[in-house]
Amino acid sequence: MFNSKKTFFYALLLASFAFTSCDSDDPEAENDGEVITDVILNFQELNAAGTPTGAITSFKASDPQGIEVGATPTIQNVTLTKGKTYQLKIEVRNSIENEDITAEILTEADEHQFYFLGTAFVGSGVLTYTYADPTGDLLGVVGKVVVAQNPGFNNANMRIVLRHALDKNFSGATNPNFENFIQAGGETDLDITFPLILN
Amino acid sequence: MIHLENNEPIEAAYIWVTEAAQGAVSDQTGNFNIKNLCPGTYAISIQYLGHREIKDTINLKDNSFNKTYRLEEESFNLAGVEIHGHRDAVQTTTAVTALYGEALMEARGENLGESLKRIAGVTTFSTGNTISKPVIHGMHSNRIMILNNGIRLEGQQWGAEHAPEIDPFLADEITVIKGAETVRYGPEAMGGVILVNPTPLFTKKQSLTELNLIGGSNSQLGNIAISHSGGSGKIKGLGYRVQGSAKRAGNVKSPDYYQNNTGMSELNFSGSIGYSSPKLGIETYYSFFNTSIGILRDAHTGNLSDLENIIQNGRPFTDGTFTYSIDNPKQVVSHHLAKLKSHYHLNENWKLNAQYGFQLNIREEYDRRRGDLNNKPSLDLQLYTNTLDLFLDHTHKNEFSGTWGVNVIQQANTNIPGTGVTPLIPNYDMVNLGFYVLEKYSKGPVELEGGLRFDIRSIQTARYINNELQQADLNYQNFSAFFGGLFQLSPTLSLSSNLGSAWRPPNVNELFSQGLHHGAAAIEIGDPNLNSEKSFKWVNELGYNFKKLSLEITGYANQIQNYIYINPTGEKVVSLRGTFNVYEYLQATAFFYGFDFAGSYQFTDNLSGYAKGSIIRAKNTDENNYFPFIPSDRMDWGIAYNFGKNANSQTNKLTLSNILVAKQRREPDFDIAAAPPAYALFNLAYQRGIDLKGNKLNLGLQVHNLFNTSYKEYMNRFRYFTDDIGQNFLLKINYQF
Repeated sequence: MFNSKKTFFYALLLASFAFTSCDSDDPEAENDGEVITDVILNFQELNAAGTPTGAITSFKASDPQGIEVGATPTIQNVTLTKGKTYQLKIEVRNSIENEDITAEILTEADEHQFYFLGTAFVGSGVLTYTYADPTGDLLGVVGKVVVAQNPGFNNANMRIVLRHALDKNFSGATNPNFENFIQAGGETDLDITFPLILN
Repeated sequence: MIHLENNEPIEAAYIWVTEAAQGAVSDQTGNFNIKNLCPGTYAISIQYLGHREIKDTINLKDNSFNKTYRLEEESFNLAGVEIHGHRDAVQTTTAVTALYGEALMEARGENLGESLKRIAGVTTFSTGNTISKPVIHGMHSNRIMILNNGIRLEGQQWGAEHAPEIDPFLADEITVIKGAETVRYGPEAMGGVILVNPTPLFTKKQSLTELNLIGGSNSQLGNIAISHSGGSGKIKGLGYRVQGSAKRAGNVKSPDYYQNNTGMSELNFSGSIGYSSPKLGIETYYSFFNTSIGILRDAHTGNLSDLENIIQNGRPFTDGTFTYSIDNPKQVVSHHLAKLKSHYHLNENWKLNAQYGFQLNIREEYDRRRGDLNNKPSLDLQLYTNTLDLFLDHTHKNEFSGTWGVNVIQQANTNIPGTGVTPLIPNYDMVNLGFYVLEKYSKGPVELEGGLRFDIRSIQTARYINNELQQADLNYQNFSAFFGGLFQLSPTLSLSSNLGSAWRPPNVNELFSQGLHHGAAAIEIGDPNLNSEKSFKWVNELGYNFKKLSLEITGYANQIQNYIYINPTGEKVVSLRGTFNVYEYLQATAFFYGFDFAGSYQFTDNLSGYAKGSIIRAKNTDENNYFPFIPSDRMDWGIAYNFGKNANSQTNKLTLSNILVAKQRREPDFDIAAAPPAYALFNLAYQRGIDLKGNKLNLGLQVHNLFNTSYKEYMNRFRYFTDDIGQNFLLKINYQF
């Protein structure tokens, strides 16, 4: 019933099955490069000439595991003094991989922009923000914050949003307090609300 | 009555005297007699095959009248006679519907999911306008099965945005089996099976080349497909086919704006060579599918607030522009499939079959990311699958026939390291072993069929989460069975009924998903303790065909235990990025039922009408609520006017159709956006077949969404972000030579 040709054919078929049969590779741990675990706001007082003077005061928001169910970020209160003008430098880090993400944001200045919202910035005049990035980009990694001499109220909140892949030429997008930032397209990379205490 | 050319007498010419309503046939000598006519004037006509008809008027005055007519030979070409017949790709007692011939030609240029929407009961689950998955009776992804030329397609079908990796151009016929077919095809074939089959290879000296050219105005689509089949004259039984297609489309246009980054490109190839003799048949086949698909930029949201904002806006914030270029987010997918199949007739009753398939699926998904990461995929999967089928067919002189077989599936899934993202699903190895037997009894108008199958499956998984190795070792096993019958109740009426059990082990993503889903601003969490889904599907089909009316009604009920679905926990995750919803995989008893209908009626020789539609109800009977993404009630009806004469086999037809889709009122308790309203679309299609000296040219001109209606489809996941596709003019040229 079986001729030798036939037997050979089936032997080959089975051999090819065994030959190409393969196992999955051993898994490797991934460096979660996109994760942001720490956002640090570095405030330094500016003198009348606009030169930073004195000590840097830092306030931090951190979420050591990145996005994880059950874990909530820890956000420090921001304490500033009435009537003073500060330089604000924002630092973004991935502490899991010990990476400075600020550098990446600076490299892609044309695709990123910080917006400064919340009751501290919008409508109240408690804080006034101006972009002051050395490169001239409207980015918000470096900016100037003026604290009102006589703010209408205390305990305002500072909402800081980092948008990625937005249309920076969108009408209104140059305003650091642009509430309709979503209309400029793109997506949110950071959205943190810091409580503000004024002395 | 004599020939004009040679004066030979003509026998069997026919003469007709109109006024007297009398006729006669000439005898061997060419003479005929008509008697008992009154004097007067008569119109006569004389006809003989292959000769010009003579019409004459004679004046009959006396008792006899003689005249000699010479018939002139006339060459007359009869139009080729096409025999329209169809044999289903699978002989089963379940409801089967196929897309082939003219209907398939009209669907050319569309992806598999879109093409199959032409079959009642089949809808799509889509992600935008370029990714669509077929849905049979409310089931999709891993609950249905797709066979590419007999090999079960093994891609990453678990993903809602993972379209089947197959080029519809390789098919000459696409068949949908609407029943549970786990016994025949293995686990997962719960809701139905789709068979994508090319024509059988030529076995004698013959050749056929087919060229398809398609252009579409919306997204400026260009599509070319060529296939060539040949048979050897030297070696009897040797045949081959090569086939390829290329497709390019840019941003899709909704009625009011372009959808940014929705272009796609596709490049596919397949080849096949086979030998067939009375005893032995061997066929090798290889197909390659390769696509890049842009994902709507606005669908990639940063957090829940982004998502809620765009849902409220109902459309992208920007108008978009036209471009062919594809940016991140995007998918780059390729799929290799090789097959070796052979059968050998042991004797006149027994046939031994062996089929081996190798598949490699490579899926890369790119997100919008910072820096160098933007050039790296965030999901990079390689899936190897080996399938081996050994089965024995028997046909006997008595009424029994059947198949006994063994089926082995071996699979290895690897995450290619370096994505910078913890993999959504782990690496895994899977082996599935199945044994089955199918027997059929057929006598006269009755056909009964039953089958049994036993499967065992083992899966080992491994993945690092937060630098911790997590491993799992899972085993599943299951019996499945079916029984069905086909009854020809009368020459016009047939009934089929099939009751089948089916099963599906939980998918790796359902077991182990852990991570952020950007399109849904959701964190999805798998459950490693899920059990296998087990279903019972009962499908009945009634077919009626009489003169001008043809009707097909399919009714079904499908109960599924341990139906796996994704459900919001109500919990929200707060992070520096913002807030996200948390979803988990749960199991419940599901009950699906519904019916499909398809019918046509020939009003006059030129005018015909058709209607088809489907109604599905799906309920979570444990919680007494509804599942998400179940197609709403829909209907497609239209009228066609055929300009050609009735006997003319060349198509020359204009069809106006209207698609009516109801709002899905049976919504789950939670959805991030309410179901969109009902909509109605009009389509116009003109199809013309032209015979060019034996070569066939088919021209199709179609307008989809004739009135450029803005609408959203419940089954399209991007209804959250955008309107569906707008008006589209399509030109489809098919040439066969």
